[in-house]
Amino acid sequence: MAKSREELETRIAVLERKVEREKKARVMSEQHLEYHSRAVYEANQSLQASLAMAKKKQAELEFLRQTSGDVSSDISLQELISNTVELTGQFFSVECGLFIVTKDGEALDSQEDNIWRAPNQWVTDTEFFEQAVKFLPLHQQECLSMWLVSAIDDESSQAMSGFKWIVFVNFALLGDKIAWLAFFSRAEFIDEEALSVLGTAREHLLSGINRRVTDVNIRKRTVELQDTVNRLEQAKRQLIQSEKMASLGQLAAGVAHEINNPVGFIRSNLEMLEEYLQDYQTLHESMLRHIETAGQLDAQHYKELCDNIDLAYIQQDAKDLLGSNLEGLERVKEIVENLRTFSHSGDGKLERINLGVCIEGALKIAWNALKYEHIVENQIPNDLPEVLGNIGQLQQVFVNLFVNAAYAMDAGGTLTLKAHVTPDALLVEVRDTGCGMDRKTLDQLFTPFFTTKPVGVGTGLGLSVSYAILESHNVLTQVSSTVGKGTLFSLSFPLLDG
Amino acid sequence: MKGIIFVKLNQFVDELWGEEFWDALLQEATLPSEGIYTSVATYDDEELFTLVGLIMLKQELSAQQAQFAFGQWMFKELLLAAPPEAHKFTDVFEFLYGVQAVIHVEVKKLNPEAILPEFEFIQETDNSLTFHYISPRHMCYFCEGIIQGLAAHTGQTVSVEQPECVHEGGERCVMKVTKVG
Repeated sequence: MAKSREELETRIAVLERKVEREKKARVMSEQHLEYHSRAVYEANQSLQASLAMAKKKQAELEFLRQTSGDVSSDISLQELISNTVELTGQFFSVECGLFIVTKDGEALDSQEDNIWRAPNQWVTDTEFFEQAVKFLPLHQQECLSMWLVSAIDDESSQAMSGFKWIVFVNFALLGDKIAWLAFFSRAEFIDEEALSVLGTAREHLLSGINRRVTDVNIRKRTVELQDTVNRLEQAKRQLIQSEKMASLGQLAAGVAHEINNPVGFIRSNLEMLEEYLQDYQTLHESMLRHIETAGQLDAQHYKELCDNIDLAYIQQDAKDLLGSNLEGLERVKEIVENLRTFSHSGDGKLERINLGVCIEGALKIAWNALKYEHIVENQIPNDLPEVLGNIGQLQQVFVNLFVNAAYAMDAGGTLTLKAHVTPDALLVEVRDTGCGMDRKTLDQLFTPFFTTKPVGVGTGLGLSVSYAILESHNVLTQVSSTVGKGTLFSLSFPLLDG
Repeated sequence: MKGIIFVKLNQFVDELWGEEFWDALLQEATLPSEGIYTSVATYDDEELFTLVGLIMLKQELSAQQAQFAFGQWMFKELLLAAPPEAHKFTDVFEFLYGVQAVIHVEVKKLNPEAILPEFEFIQETDNSLTFHYISPRHMCYFCEGIIQGLAAHTGQTVSVEQPECVHEGGERCVMKVTKVG
């Protein structure tokens, strides 16, 4: 059905308006598209700029990371500085770097391979070096607080041609030496931002150098301390030996007596034996005479001759005398052996020893101080486990304790020696019934040069040296004392493992 | 309001009542944009409310009916424009959960300034899903229509009711979608 003209006109008007709207919408869309295209373009530009900036920052951070990594690492000062030159040269995109050490404004000898060239090579270039250092204020003794930049306008030098800038800094080293780092750039302009990054790197490097300088000082100090410790150790060994010799000197009279005694009775025994030999001679001569006159010797007569000289007694007594002499010689031998062990300085090495034997020897050395006035009760069992010790040094300790005990019991008394094994230690007890010590004396017992003996009698070092010896044996020493009753020294020797 | 909604409303009205009716609406409404809509631009919300108001008046529809019908029709149109992820859903509930997590995320990438409704899920049973519809535009009826359009797309039958609605004196709009049959 055909539409009326009016309807058609209305329809056309609707469509015209629609077309108009669509046109405008298209223009709007295109504007929108243009606007967005521009926005995308700008965003892209800004992203690229950000990316470039980020890359630059990343390079800066990487540079700082590497330089500070080197600073905190254990590489030597020399390596640290050459690494810094390499990293800085690469980061700063310069063609050439230089590292020299000066003292009193003069470059020090070693100028080999001290020029760095991009991409990464150390070379020797004397001509360049001589020209380059002219730009550095080497005579200046104070260190720079930042990187300095100088323009290079010297066109006359072939070696320096093409370089526009020198960027340099210096650091103080040990022994009034100064390290200089310099970089040579052909760029028209110096990147100021990079310069500020270099500033940060310089601070890191400075702290790294300081740390290494401090380390060197500390190492030096440690060596000195070790030397002192060694000297003290040596002195201590000498002191122990000296004290031993001093106490030996004090014991010498007693020891001489100990030796003299058997020597005395051996001598009188020998005199007796000489007389007996004379009697035998007499018997022999009588027998010869009788045979010459009578032509024979009968049993009756032989018995008479023997009875004349009391041969039965002589035979028995000679046996006794020889036995006594052998015993006396054995005593002398033992004393001499103990003295030798005692006085031998040795190397302080610890060996497996039997404390019973050690104490026995010490008793023999100190015997003369004890045998007249004192009763010695040695209750130390024979089957003690071995301990680690130096027999000479420990004898020194025991001799010292015994002599002190004898001194404390000047009116006589009993020295009791005991030993037993506890779960963790071998406990040796030395007890006397002497005068004892008061608190004050006890407190100073192990103090060097402290003594209660009259001048000339004690060195005042005996117990302090003994204490040092016991400590080096890891022996725990305890002292308890009651005035008027006596003193007890308890020594706990560590047991051997297993 | 994004231009796509106006373009689609135009298409919807054209299909339902013809170009003359749309033309008449624009003539009468005298809108700032003069009815020149492109999907890439953004327009004043008021223009939509004015147009919908006029449709209601001229077609004697309630706001609920008008928004519901537009929403139901709109779903398939929006789905065409939606990112590929939107097409993988086969269940109404799954889709509703995915709206925020997937579709709105994609929409925001292209239109950072777009104001999108938010769903705050309150309760789910085997066959019902209750959520809080949050939008400054309060187009909950439109949302109901969209959900029905979605159900048609997934081949499911659902009923949508609003236990609470700001248009019914409620503090907020709560949608309860129940699978039927």
